[in-house]
Amino acid sequence: MAVTMTLDPIEQLNEDEKRKYIKGKKLGEGTYANVYLGHSRQDPSQLVAIKKIKVQQQYQDGMAPDAVRELKYLRELHHPNIISLLSVFSSKDQNLNLVLEYLPLGDLEMLIRDVDRVRYGAGDIKAWMGMLTRAVWFCHDNFVLHRDIKPNNLLIAADGEVKLADFGLARSFADPGRRMTANVITRWYRPPELLFGARHYGGAADIWSVGMVFAELIIRAPFLAGNTEVEQISLICKHIGTPTEDNWPGVTRLREYTVPSEVVPVWGKEAYMGRFGAVGADGVDLLVRTVALDPKKRITAREMLEHRWWRTDPKPTRKEDLPRKSGGGAEEKMGADLKRRNGILEDEANNSNSRGAKVARKLDFGQGK
Amino acid sequence: MSRKPSSGLPAISSEDMCPVCKTIRYLNKDMEFLINPECYHSMCSNCVNRLFNDGPNQCPYAGCHRTLRRKGFRSAFFGDLSVEREVDIRRRVAAVFNQAEDDFETLRDYNNYLQMVEDLTFDLVSGSDAARRAAEATLQQWEAEHRADIERNRKAGREADEQSRRRLAAEREAARQRRVEALREAEEEKRERARSREAELDSLAKGEVVSAGGPAGGAQQRVQLKRRGQAAVNAAAASAAGTGAAAAAADVGRLSIRGLKEKKAPAPEGPYDPFGGMDFVPSRYKLHDGLSHPAIDKYKADPGHITGGYNFDDYTARALYEAFAGLAVFVEDEKEVGIGLSAGEVATISAGMIAVGDKMELD
Repeated sequence: MAVTMTLDPIEQLNEDEKRKYIKGKKLGEGTYANVYLGHSRQDPSQLVAIKKIKVQQQYQDGMAPDAVRELKYLRELHHPNIISLLSVFSSKDQNLNLVLEYLPLGDLEMLIRDVDRVRYGAGDIKAWMGMLTRAVWFCHDNFVLHRDIKPNNLLIAADGEVKLADFGLARSFADPGRRMTANVITRWYRPPELLFGARHYGGAADIWSVGMVFAELIIRAPFLAGNTEVEQISLICKHIGTPTEDNWPGVTRLREYTVPSEVVPVWGKEAYMGRFGAVGADGVDLLVRTVALDPKKRITAREMLEHRWWRTDPKPTRKEDLPRKSGGGAEEKMGADLKRRNGILEDEANNSNSRGAKVARKLDFGQGK
Repeated sequence: MSRKPSSGLPAISSEDMCPVCKTIRYLNKDMEFLINPECYHSMCSNCVNRLFNDGPNQCPYAGCHRTLRRKGFRSAFFGDLSVEREVDIRRRVAAVFNQAEDDFETLRDYNNYLQMVEDLTFDLVSGSDAARRAAEATLQQWEAEHRADIERNRKAGREADEQSRRRLAAEREAARQRRVEALREAEEEKRERARSREAELDSLAKGEVVSAGGPAGGAQQRVQLKRRGQAAVNAAAASAAGTGAAAAAADVGRLSIRGLKEKKAPAPEGPYDPFGGMDFVPSRYKLHDGLSHPAIDKYKADPGHITGGYNFDDYTARALYEAFAGLAVFVEDEKEVGIGLSAGEVATISAGMIAVGDKMELD
């Protein structure tokens, strides 16, 4: 007790919090954070993931913004489909430790990619989409934009529940007149308004990402996988339609509006039926509404949940019966998911020399008005 | 027994003469008696065909007015028809009252239940007319009320039977394997003995003097003994494993029965609720569309806000939410705030958050 006597109350609190958990083996290591498996000291069967955020070069005199965002929003949001933050403490070298719920079954991306061993149907897609949409709806109804929705931020709990994780790019809805950065959301899931550099956007940006995840769940490959922003825009134009003043008033005046010269009319529902017909006409209808080019015409999370697709057959699979990844690798995957920097793709994270490497990192703190 | 011709004429007993047509076995070697569980009056198959081929008819016995059908007739298993009748009744009662011991909280309950069933059975078998009718009514009522339970128990019973049958089969198979193995070993040993004997004879023929207790013979014997011992050990291990497996199988069997205790079937799934049972409609105020405020009006016309999909309703919803957020919250009532944090801790943390939060709003 001699040591504790010297601590001030806040340090004492921190120490108490720290003592509640025992750090175990390392699940993953990244430039931004290390992830450890841990368990509660009181109840060793309660497993947790401890995300230890490294002190970063750019932010030496404070906490990394990603960590702050994550902390700020996970502290507030408690929902079955959002990863829960159990505790926070700082360790000896001023490293921030986030104690997160342990989600042992990997993420949705693993299931989507493992075409050979994982099979799923319309009911499973409906169940997953339901959980994702509920999470997004909950965020939006609590005025939080996630801004990095993608399959590998959708982790799977032991009971099959999908949980939205990684709030490193989240922020609350901006006040009118307040500019937000357009350099968020991993490129493949980024909506056209952000690609065109809009600075005032809303929940519709997340909905586009949800639509992209929906499409990816159906075709089991990223729907629009552009290597650069320009390519991403041209892919959107080709597969969804070219944004014009007709279908999106004012779009041509956005800062970075550039589209291929060949104008493709916006595809109707029928055009999607061939590729996405597996979820039925109602499912395709919902998908088409989530990928509306004009964010004002895009469906909202609440409207998505009110859509008739959820009530038509097949019924969403019960979460216990959802397909899950066989074999190991899931644990490492959670480690990899949590340690990754936000808003970038895996291969770019590994190859920091590539052009896209720093794209989503250009968050202009302190430069706003 | 009575069919055996005793001294002189065959004894004409009830079993050898049809009580309806008075045909005797002597005249019809293949005579077969059938009964109908309605009244258990036996008659020969010819009579049954004669009387009931054209549809239901009355029992030909004097004083018995039951209507019988051709389909209900069968040959009796027991010579004594009262036993046949009792067995039938017991079978019927057992099919309805098919609870297992595990369905009951205590052994006493189960015993009481068995007692009740036995009383009822007795009433049905040999009770007075009134008692029989009452018992019959009870039985039918129970059957009607507990149809689902009965069906479930029947299935469980069948499963248990199936499991024990499988276990028995496995045991039999294991025993057969052991026998085959033992036989093979005996054979092997016999061959071995013959071979060693031959070798001995050979060496004798070659003129080497080897006594039975000699070094070579001793060695051979030892080898054989050793082998036998090894085999015994192997067999013991195998049997141990076998009983282990059997015990495990028995465990599984018992488990499935124990599972019956949970009477509650899983609640039928309600319709899918896309919202997961949550609702954020504010309870203390009503949100109207198109609320406005001079401070935000100038942005409503700003193309940057419109084109980018900025939603002003979200903003007004938030403003109202935050205005009302602290109302009707009493710190005293909310000692348990957050996850195991005291109010003080929350205050500390939120103060920290506010400090950094200002900076965060910039991007």
